[in-house]
Amino acid sequence: MIRKEINRISEVGKALISVEGNPGVALNHVVELLNADNNQSLSFAKAINITEDSTRFQVFNGTQGLSTKTKIRMHEVPLTAGFSHNMLGRSFDGVGNVADGGPDVIMEKQVSTRLDTLNPTVRLVPKQPLWTGIPMIDVFNTLVKSQKIPIFAGPTEPYNRLLSQIAQGAQADVIIFAGIGLKFDEYQYFKEQLSQSGNIDKTIMFTHLAGDSQIKGLMLPDVALSVAREFGDEGKDVLVLLTDMTNWSNILRNVANYQDMIPSLQGYPGSLYSELAKRYEVAADIEGAGSITIIGATTLESLEDPVPDNTGYITEGQFFLDNGKLKLARSLSRLKQQVNDDTRDDHRPIMTAMASLLADAEKAYEAAEVGAANDPYSQKLLRYRTDFIENMEEPFGEPIELEAALDKCWDILRRHFEPTETGLSKKLIEQYWHKN
Amino acid sequence: MNNKKRRTGTLIAIQDSLVKARFYDDVIMGETAEISVDGKLLQAEVLQIEPDPKNADAGLVEMQVFEDLTGAQIGDEVVFKGTPLSVLLGPGLLTSIWDGLQNPLYKLGETDPYLQPGMTAPALDIEKLWDFTPTAKVGDVVSGGDTIGWVPEGRFEHKVLVPFDYGKCRVDSIIEKSSINITEVVAVVIDELEQRHELKMAFRQAVKSPIPFKERAIPSETISTGVRVIDLLAPVGYGGTVGNPGPFGAGKTVLQHALCKYAVADIIIMAACGERAGEAVEVFKDFAELDDPSTGESLMNRMCIFGNTSSMPVAAREASVFIALTVGEYYRYQGFNVVMLADSTSRWAQALRERSGRQGDIPGPEAFPMDIPDQIKGMYQRAGADAGTGGSLTFIGTVSPAGGNFQEPVTQATMDATGGFWGLSQDRADAKKYPAIDPLAYTSSVYDSFISWKDRQTMLQTLHEANGIDQTISTIGLKKVPVEKYILFQKGLTIDFCVLQQNAFHKVDACTRPDRLHVINEAVQKLIDGSIQFAHNGMEDEEVKEMIKSKFDELRQWWRDWNGVAQSEEEIAVLPGKIEQFILQEDSAL
Repeated sequence: MIRKEINRISEVGKALISVEGNPGVALNHVVELLNADNNQSLSFAKAINITEDSTRFQVFNGTQGLSTKTKIRMHEVPLTAGFSHNMLGRSFDGVGNVADGGPDVIMEKQVSTRLDTLNPTVRLVPKQPLWTGIPMIDVFNTLVKSQKIPIFAGPTEPYNRLLSQIAQGAQADVIIFAGIGLKFDEYQYFKEQLSQSGNIDKTIMFTHLAGDSQIKGLMLPDVALSVAREFGDEGKDVLVLLTDMTNWSNILRNVANYQDMIPSLQGYPGSLYSELAKRYEVAADIEGAGSITIIGATTLESLEDPVPDNTGYITEGQFFLDNGKLKLARSLSRLKQQVNDDTRDDHRPIMTAMASLLADAEKAYEAAEVGAANDPYSQKLLRYRTDFIENMEEPFGEPIELEAALDKCWDILRRHFEPTETGLSKKLIEQYWHKN
Repeated sequence: MNNKKRRTGTLIAIQDSLVKARFYDDVIMGETAEISVDGKLLQAEVLQIEPDPKNADAGLVEMQVFEDLTGAQIGDEVVFKGTPLSVLLGPGLLTSIWDGLQNPLYKLGETDPYLQPGMTAPALDIEKLWDFTPTAKVGDVVSGGDTIGWVPEGRFEHKVLVPFDYGKCRVDSIIEKSSINITEVVAVVIDELEQRHELKMAFRQAVKSPIPFKERAIPSETISTGVRVIDLLAPVGYGGTVGNPGPFGAGKTVLQHALCKYAVADIIIMAACGERAGEAVEVFKDFAELDDPSTGESLMNRMCIFGNTSSMPVAAREASVFIALTVGEYYRYQGFNVVMLADSTSRWAQALRERSGRQGDIPGPEAFPMDIPDQIKGMYQRAGADAGTGGSLTFIGTVSPAGGNFQEPVTQATMDATGGFWGLSQDRADAKKYPAIDPLAYTSSVYDSFISWKDRQTMLQTLHEANGIDQTISTIGLKKVPVEKYILFQKGLTIDFCVLQQNAFHKVDACTRPDRLHVINEAVQKLIDGSIQFAHNGMEDEEVKEMIKSKFDELRQWWRDWNGVAQSEEEIAVLPGKIEQFILQEDSAL
């Protein structure tokens, strides 16, 4: 098949190029850029803005080195991702090229990267817990298969360590790692962790390192999620790790800026919410097929930043990491109600009681800073707070089973309070207070 | 509208969901159009018409497209439809689940698990037979909104109406009582220009202009929502409007679900606008197995859902809210009490922001369109009670303020536009005090409701004072607070803990009806009024307070147990007595 070619680029900017006139390219279709002298392939690009006077493309490999003579060859299809079971255990870049130096992967098929919305009627209401062995998650914010949930953390927090720890224990058939704007050591860390835990053979890594072409980073989640979907449609339970979506959002912001789009908050395009939602909504438990769970990482300076703020409205909760601890106060699993009623009868009540006491304790802690928490009850609360942080908010200890973690909760309450101070029902107190 | 000539245009610019087309004929502002892309027809709406700088004989039209435009090319054909964005109204609306453009999702799901551009299916079941009973006779003079017959729709009597845009007509023929589907003609009417019109049980109605009221009235009767903090302190009347802002994680969704389940209303319409798909799924899959509190039937029998969830095309978000509102107005016109939940109006506003940004409009605050407050007001104004039909449309809109900041434009405009304000507090949510509606930060324009205005004020006053004492304790310590103030603080704490907080997932506690609410109010008023004398002979101040706290702790534990257990009339009735005994410190009582 002879493909149409365009022989002149009229405009080359950061990550974007334009050609004059209307060469007949369709929206979101892919073109290939070739060196005019030797027809060597330089990059692929995607048509994003078409008028009868000009056509604009996003260039996957960046625009450095492109000239006005660079040749454009039209492929007349939207961007697809290669899919093959042989991808397992391998590493790819943001558009699906082999990136581990190994042999090429023969793809079984090409899949669309458009991320069409799943019809809500084929979604199942998620009801299967994913146990992590981390009490702050299992007891207080139970993770559920098909959930979409990010870790919110400052840039220096060990969020990738936590992500990796959750991934090790997760009962998934396939792990899709999608790293955007990673530092090399982070990439290497994940690779080693996944190898050590024996999970590497069921993992596909899509990696975009900081400094790589921005457009490749921008496309990466779509490629990774399209591949994840294919496994999901096959009936597999897939876990997708997206780190870090703040990097991704920043690329989105840069590219919107190159396109002269009117910014909304802090320079991000008005579509930030929709763009994030389109990716996170791929998480689903699908009737008659498998499931896709997405655990992301969102780095932040402040919870009010547009990226964590929009993410919070999209995802089904968040795990909030602060000072290396998984904090109860701002963490939330929206799906926990679907699964924590069928565990032990004290699970829900003790979760609520401890959270409520912790909130009081935080108030006492603030009061103590101005020397006001001198009464015995405030002192109790302060001791409880320290105990709770040490024993419940630590995510990196030995894995603990749910029942043991619940017993540990009772131990903590017993250490500090009278039964009536807990707000727990008489029935539960009778059943559990004097246990052990 | 009668212009049957085919009017077309061709695409000259495409970006995201916005296109421009050149046309040579005529284009109507706001009309819909279909664009052929790769053999699929994509729905679009005209936003702006302007001159063509390159061609004096032509014009340019800017349109938003409700579906993904991948594959669209310059020169693709546009066909203008002549009609504005509309919704199909008729029997079968209830129990339906649509996307934002009224495509039935179950029907679409039969062909493909994914929603593809250009997919479409009839909004209402065209095969289902309905038992039509005529009420109009040949020779009757009818006009838009008049009833010509009815069909049973579940437990409702669904009136068959003359479309609202009809003027005076004479009934020329009408069918006998019969079992028919919505595509069949039920009557023929002749208008004043002697034009014949065939009427069917379903008709299309434009969504951006409201269906009129017969006789608009101020909301007077309070809705029992089952949520104590709302029904006691921030009640909403049938036909009222409420803005429900809250940062993420503050419990908007759980509250919306509680309202779906427990609000006493004939019909609940849910516009899941730009929010998580999973939440809408939970409603139509799990709620179908729950019982309607008033009828015992499946909850879905009183519901319809528009699910334009967050990953669906942005342009259809705006449409979904207007379509849902119009369905609500239609049932109000039929005389039903309708509650519409829009989750979230912020996503709707953001869709407008995305669009105006792409159109290159000069942005207002936070890049929202300058006229966003007026658009929000206009939307809420479509709610209301209709004394003429006896129906009402209550509009409860959630707001998702960026950064949880209530000063942002959409929250501010919503506060201005609505009669009630349920502000969810991050602090209360962090402390897992649900529902996290801040009792000290809401307004409600309903006066006497299930409890008197005076009782409500007394309760709020106590909460305010208790909050003040709490702040004092936090800043200067418990020691400096006099014992009687400490008791007041404990009373406030008790009202908050045992009355305002409610477990939405507990089978008994989740819903409180007015009879139980009266008993609770009686107990609360007794607790507030009661002067409690704790025996504290010779105790240190610190010990006294500890003793008081532990007595209140016991009361609270008892009351919380009561919340979860008491179900029979006798069990419920004991509460005020217990409070009296507590005030008298008859220890045995507890």
